Amino acid sequence: MSSKMQASQAGQALWSKMPKANAELFALTYGSLVTELVRDYEDPIEVNAQLDRIGHSIGVRCVDELLSKADVAGMGLATQCQNLRDTAEVVAKVGFKMFLGVQAEVGGFSQDQRSFSIYLQDNPLATFVELPAAGDEQYNGDDLRKLKYSNLYCGVIRGALEQVNLKVECNIVRDTLKGDEVNEIRVELKEVLADGAGDDYKEE
Amino acid sequence: MSSSPVLLFVIVGKNEPLYEAEIDTSSSSSMAPSNSSGGAGGGGGGAGSPSQQQQQNELSTRQNYFVLHSALDLVEKSVYSTSNMYLRVVDKVNQQQVSTFVTAANVKFMLLHGGKGEEVIKNFFGEVYGYYVKLSMNPFYKYDTPIMSKAFDARVRAAARAYLS
Repeated sequence: MSSKMQASQAGQALWSKMPKANAELFALTYGSLVTELVRDYEDPIEVNAQLDRIGHSIGVRCVDELLSKADVAGMGLATQCQNLRDTAEVVAKVGFKMFLGVQAEVGGFSQDQRSFSIYLQDNPLATFVELPAAGDEQYNGDDLRKLKYSNLYCGVIRGALEQVNLKVECNIVRDTLKGDEVNEIRVELKEVLADGAGDDYKEE
Repeated sequence: MSSSPVLLFVIVGKNEPLYEAEIDTSSSSSMAPSNSSGGAGGGGGGAGSPSQQQQQNELSTRQNYFVLHSALDLVEKSVYSTSNMYLRVVDKVNQQQVSTFVTAANVKFMLLHGGKGEEVIKNFFGEVYGYYVKLSMNPFYKYDTPIMSKAFDARVRAAARAYLS
């Protein structure tokens, strides 16, 4: 309980220190990126993959920023994340808050504690977005049903956790753009990567 | 029946109508699916054996379109006479008047009505302008293409009911 409070407080504190960008500019920039990808690749599945890749390279960098800033602020996150539950808290309460200014919730842990969901009430990436209707031929509405507009998040989470030795798989399972009442990102832990130096460097 | 309570609202782009809505403000009577927007022109269906009233409705609908479209030339003219976006009533045919609002990107909002207050219509246009801007921020909407968004349609109709009935 106390760690929960701590995480959201830390997120709040870090968010207040972050330089801010105009939300509309941000949303429109991402929007043009996605539509550009849609035009280039045509296949929405491929677009999802590209967004995931872009997100991955963002996440790889983000995690360092998060950890360093948290350290400077004296929050010692490294000691806080003992298990996946803590990690999930930090991703949602600190990560999303710090970079996007939105509050994310964690829930839906599986029995074996190896997968969880992140719930986003509002999605700053999709501020103005409305997907074309299903039967809409002009904009390829049928095809775009398969597009995961905010798949960037999946990449970011995957990239960030990969840097701290957690190999995860992310998936957007619910999307407000498709009529669901909340955005849900399912995160599944695949394996904890071996830490430390390779065998070659070990001393006798 | 001649100055019917039906309003016709059209958004016109560079070379084609982008959006059309026929709005029945006599809320008490039928909320029938008057017109499902989308698509240009009005030459869709209408075959079969329509009753007399339907026939009459269709006739007045066509007439409305005709009045609106013929007002377009006058719009082009009055755009140059003022720096306002709201051009007020640009054309009058019998009791029917055509009010127009031109956005900065030269998209025209036109409303056919039977003599509503200038201020009321200005407010309505202002509201719709807000929705239009929101719509054009949608990355999947391309400038100067027909508006298919259901949300936009619903909002415009709601605004029309709120301001014009």
